[in-house]
Amino acid sequence: MPTTTDHSLESFLIENQTRFYRLAYSYLKHPEDAMDAVQTAVCRAVERQGSLRNPGALRSWFYHILVNTCLDVLRQRGRTLPLSEWEEIGQEDPPPEDEALLRQIDELPTAVATVIRLRFFEELSLKEIAAATGTNVNTVKSRLYAGLKKLRIAMEGENIL
Amino acid sequence: MNKFQYFQRARGAYESVPIPDGLEDRVREGIRQGREARTRRRRRQIQRWTGLAACFALLLAGLNLSPAVAHAAARVPVLGPLFQVLTVVSFDKSEDGVNYSVDVPAVEAEGTLAQTVNEVIQSRVDQHMEKARQDWQDYRDAFFATGGTEEAWADRTMDLSVDYEIKSQSDTQVSFVVTMTEGWVTSFEERYCYNLDLTEDRPITLQDLLGEDWVRISNDAIRRQIEESRDEDGFTYFFAPEEGGFTTVDEDTAFYIREDGVPVAVFPRYAIAAGAAGFPEFPLA
Repeated sequence: MPTTTDHSLESFLIENQTRFYRLAYSYLKHPEDAMDAVQTAVCRAVERQGSLRNPGALRSWFYHILVNTCLDVLRQRGRTLPLSEWEEIGQEDPPPEDEALLRQIDELPTAVATVIRLRFFEELSLKEIAAATGTNVNTVKSRLYAGLKKLRIAMEGENIL
Repeated sequence: MNKFQYFQRARGAYESVPIPDGLEDRVREGIRQGREARTRRRRRQIQRWTGLAACFALLLAGLNLSPAVAHAAARVPVLGPLFQVLTVVSFDKSEDGVNYSVDVPAVEAEGTLAQTVNEVIQSRVDQHMEKARQDWQDYRDAFFATGGTEEAWADRTMDLSVDYEIKSQSDTQVSFVVTMTEGWVTSFEERYCYNLDLTEDRPITLQDLLGEDWVRISNDAIRRQIEESRDEDGFTYFFAPEEGGFTTVDEDTAFYIREDGVPVAVFPRYAIAAGAAGFPEFPLA
């Protein structure tokens, strides 16, 4: 029997499918894999909707499932970029723009790229990102700052939070 | 240019990724698969608890763990001369990414009932602790086997709790509920009800409380309350009987006894209603 919860979850999933696809694609760079990841995440979300205790947290709850699904695929491919490789990423390149910036985000350690994408492309709050990545706000902040620094964006006088 | 403006340009590129035609079908297929998986999960839970002994009705699938460590006997006398309910194991700690919050009760009284109940409680706690530890270990192994890093793993924690609540008590009887939870990527909760008559040295049944006609009385009360739960649009979280909803109480129906002596039936989450309804409770009066 459909319920209010089912309806709001399922309509949320259908209405935002293109956002989910683009986020999955930003990790996986492959249309079929990205669709697989979205389908898997949707299935998991519907199955486990009982674990969503606060309906107001639906967005970060679902992004948590989706990001983890994508990371699982990357791990199977052996392609996540661990934080320990952080320093090796090109530091002296000129500031990137548009697609070049996208590519540079892809080059970041996966955990850092996740924060940047969720913050600037999906417009989640730091608190939502913390929930979606299973970390705390301080970790999110430090990854965000580190990511921005790596992307060579000036920090001075700008409020990114 | 602030950072949002700066990223706006990259976002244009991000959002220009073409959307494949089949996406909506895949999302709808995911929803359908999720619904099926959810129904299977509910059936498994129901099968699990119908197999249990009548007096220890299991209330929901989930897990928990207990190191055979920490024996902090907080002697909290609950009751009069005949018996007391004590916290026999109590600890809060974090170890290997697991945050424990554990308070295990036991009944101290003459007779075999208390001993049996204590053994059942302890074995359930041990079993759930062990299962949760195994779940956590499996998750950890899979995480590293697939290239997860120590740094990423360090962010992950599991919350485990065991707790109990005494619902009512008299000189000779006690009713309490033990709750065990496991929370990580998903969360589980399990509740067990214990209703004991220490003079008679046996569990209290709904028949003891409601008389020979206990099934009809209980069913009438529950059906009435389900009907009353409908809102102005006729919507209710409860499933219709033919869709897996409530049909009847039986010897396995879990309940506790309220302070005023009224028994309250408790159903597992998902058993007769959508998850949003939590653990539905019905006073049987």
